[in-house]
Amino acid sequence: MSVLAFPAPVSRPQDEALRSEVRAFLSQALAGRTSLEKAESWNGFDRDFSRALGAKGWLGMTWPRAYGGHERTAFERYVVVEETLAAGAPVAAHWIADRQSGPTLLRYGSEAQKRAILPRIAAGECTFCIGMSEPDAGSDLAATRTRAERQADGSWRVNGTKLWTTYAHEADFMILFCRTSGTPADRHRGTSQLLVDMRATPGLTVRPIADLMGQHHFNEVHFEDAVIPADALLGTEGAGWAQVMGELAFERSGPERFLSSIQLLIELIAALRGSESDAAQAAVGRLFAHLVTLRHMSRGVAALLERGEDAAVHAAIVKDLGASFEQDLPDIARSLVDAEPDLASTDAFAAVLAYTTMAAPAFSLRGGTREILRGIIARQLGLR
Amino acid sequence: MDDLSAVVFDTAERLLGALHHGAGRWEDMTSAGQGRGWATIEEAGLPLALTAEEHGGLGLPLADGLELVQIAGRSPVPWPVVETMLANRFAAEDGRTLHEGPVTALGLLTADQRAFAALARAKQMAGALDAILSMTVAHVQERSQFGRPLAGFQAVQHQLAVLGGEVAAGRAAADHAIARIAEGATGDAATLPIGVARVRVGEAASRAAAIAHQLHGAIGYTREHRLHRYTTALWAWRDQFGTQTYWSRAVGRLVLARDAGDLWPMVTAA
Repeated sequence: MSVLAFPAPVSRPQDEALRSEVRAFLSQALAGRTSLEKAESWNGFDRDFSRALGAKGWLGMTWPRAYGGHERTAFERYVVVEETLAAGAPVAAHWIADRQSGPTLLRYGSEAQKRAILPRIAAGECTFCIGMSEPDAGSDLAATRTRAERQADGSWRVNGTKLWTTYAHEADFMILFCRTSGTPADRHRGTSQLLVDMRATPGLTVRPIADLMGQHHFNEVHFEDAVIPADALLGTEGAGWAQVMGELAFERSGPERFLSSIQLLIELIAALRGSESDAAQAAVGRLFAHLVTLRHMSRGVAALLERGEDAAVHAAIVKDLGASFEQDLPDIARSLVDAEPDLASTDAFAAVLAYTTMAAPAFSLRGGTREILRGIIARQLGLR
Repeated sequence: MDDLSAVVFDTAERLLGALHHGAGRWEDMTSAGQGRGWATIEEAGLPLALTAEEHGGLGLPLADGLELVQIAGRSPVPWPVVETMLANRFAAEDGRTLHEGPVTALGLLTADQRAFAALARAKQMAGALDAILSMTVAHVQERSQFGRPLAGFQAVQHQLAVLGGEVAAGRAAADHAIARIAEGATGDAATLPIGVARVRVGEAASRAAAIAHQLHGAIGYTREHRLHRYTTALWAWRDQFGTQTYWSRAVGRLVLARDAGDLWPMVTAA
């Protein structure tokens, strides 16, 4: 059962020096933000902030210098990511690119693709969206129906629809997972990834989907005889499935999987501070224990990644436990503090409680549903 | 892990595994059987595993000593192996003579000793959790219902995945605290990670025991099935050397004593 042992994270002086530097930067950069804005960290889209982070050298941190990276360790990157999320920084303008699209390009991209795009991501100037989910496929990615057909001149003609595409309306690029041969019955065979320019692709339209708060982060992206140039193929034709699975490991491994609700925990502690109530102390102690343990496990995943080991199952465990922790928080908070949740409230606790309550259902959906993750864990335990 | 530790781990795994499987119904054990069992535990040096070399102990590094406690947790036996390890460690610390024979009750402890005993229990629980997971995985693979192994049912797979996550978290929490103590944390800086470990592993024990019993079906609820040794031990251990409630309040009090803005720095320092 060694899969269940998480390696001890390595704490080096340079990591902690960087942490102080990042904290100092964030306390200035985020000084004017309300608690509610901090709670929206995941969905906060601020190109200026992303550029400032890029200027500090805190994007593309582990990539080669030749592509605008900084050749720092996975742990140093981890420090920056967890500090920005814990501080409630707006990360949406850079972090899909920094977290998964960039690493995928680095691994599978052509030299031209890497030289053109990676330095822009590292500078915080290039936003990506993820072209995986589809209307009738849901978690079953192998059922993808979006089809790219090779034309006589080598270009691709694409037809299909992608769904739940976060920030497609702001993105510069999408990595599109699609079928380049066969039918959906072929499952993962015959799939490929294409690098799609969201700004200059004829036949591509983006339509908003409002979430239950009425906010617009999701989109439907339609490809109708969209023409994508020959050099947009990412990696190997037909190897899309293996590539996309590698990409998902990046998406599932980070501290974002247990820090989505941290602003609510901060407001809860502010509301309970000095309380002598047994229930309050016990509940806060329990939440703190979960948070510290999740962080230890998540840093263990970073240790595995730094050693170049497969961390897919460890990441699935952290994501499953992390989503449960994040989703439990709103109900625990409302059981301890008598405050009416209200997005418009001037009371920070009431506003953040309202926001986190409404955001929470997505925590166990995005980046792989809970059921998919549990299937991955069960397989590793030898059950499938 | 040094060479001595590797030898001790190997010996303990074999010896405690054999005693665990051979012990039958614990209450049926004769006093002669009791005596023979303890003699082999003493011969292996296990009661001295947490005691420094200069006091006559094995002198294992702290993390290795507690790894041995986890191994003991995997194979519960009707002798107080871990309690005696702790009693001898504390006796040596206090300048008292080491114990002859098994020690079942630790008596009065200082606050630091109680916290250390609590940490040892956390690691012992991690071992028992690991064993529960192994036996539950084996059971659902062997047992068939409705014409296929239990392991083939998605509902069963998902329960096992939850069990696996809890086992991983309990163990990670214990290991995290051990790393902090090995670095020399004392006072509140020790209370916090030890409390975190006890709270998290205690919760894991409650959930794991429930899932293991559910997946074993009625057979696991019988006295003859050894699942009861693990589950009843976990239920007892989660409230010893500080109850689940005691430790969660201790952690919560420390967190609530600080400004809410200090939460994240406290997490990264814990």
